[in-house]
Amino acid sequence: MAKVKRNKKPETGIPTTSMGDISFLLLLFFMVSTVFVKEKGLDVMLPKAKSIVKIPRKHAATIYVNRSGVISIDDYAVEIPLVSIIMQQKIADDINLITCFRTDKDTNYGIMSDILQQLKEANTLRVQFEAKLKR
Amino acid sequence: MNRKRRNLGGIPTTSTSDISFLMLVFFLSTTTFDIKKGLGLVLPPASEPGAQKAKIKEENITKVWINKDGAIRVNEEDVALDKLERRIRNVVKDNPDMVISLKTDRKSKYDYMVRVLDLLQAAGAEKISLSTN
Repeated sequence: MAKVKRNKKPETGIPTTSMGDISFLLLLFFMVSTVFVKEKGLDVMLPKAKSIVKIPRKHAATIYVNRSGVISIDDYAVEIPLVSIIMQQKIADDINLITCFRTDKDTNYGIMSDILQQLKEANTLRVQFEAKLKR
Repeated sequence: MNRKRRNLGGIPTTSTSDISFLMLVFFLSTTTFDIKKGLGLVLPPASEPGAQKAKIKEENITKVWINKDGAIRVNEEDVALDKLERRIRNVVKDNPDMVISLKTDRKSKYDYMVRVLDLLQAAGAEKISLSTN
């Protein structure tokens, strides 16, 4: 008996040949833009401001101050008198150092005033107060 | 003439997309877009004993005070927050050498200081002195 040839149906499917290219492209983007967070810091609610500018990450040293007045530098809780000593060491490493404050909006200004005084003594005079963009 | 077919050697590429997706997931989960933004300021240097202070004429200083409740005074005159920007803009326009001295109560909130500093910078004040008391 002669065999009846069946008509071959055209195969339907998603072409996956370029999948690797796409994923490599995405991978490259994320590899380039990734910044590994060096410090955990403290949980803070930043104040909002309109005229904010970008801070060069290269020269930034962050001081975290939470609402209860705990100060954290490089993930170490520090007392106010120690701030000037730490910042003196930091400015010796990088002359263009910018001190970045990540301070909770409900923090007492007295603590900030004391820290600023310490920065003056350490001669780290460029400061930035981190804020969220006010819309 | 019959040629012998050579077995072509090659790198198997079927799993490249799997590997790259795995790496992609890793980078996706670890990436934080760490863009820092804020209000910039240069502090006046600490006065050393015996050092000569640069004197600024009294007429070139505008004193801005913030009390513990966030109320603002400009040169002994109460000013509402929404009127501060215009006030400072006019002051800076009249005298470009004007130094704005910002003094905040120790019991005041940090948020109040940032709000006023933001308005001062938005008003075009370039010489801002942040007093620590």
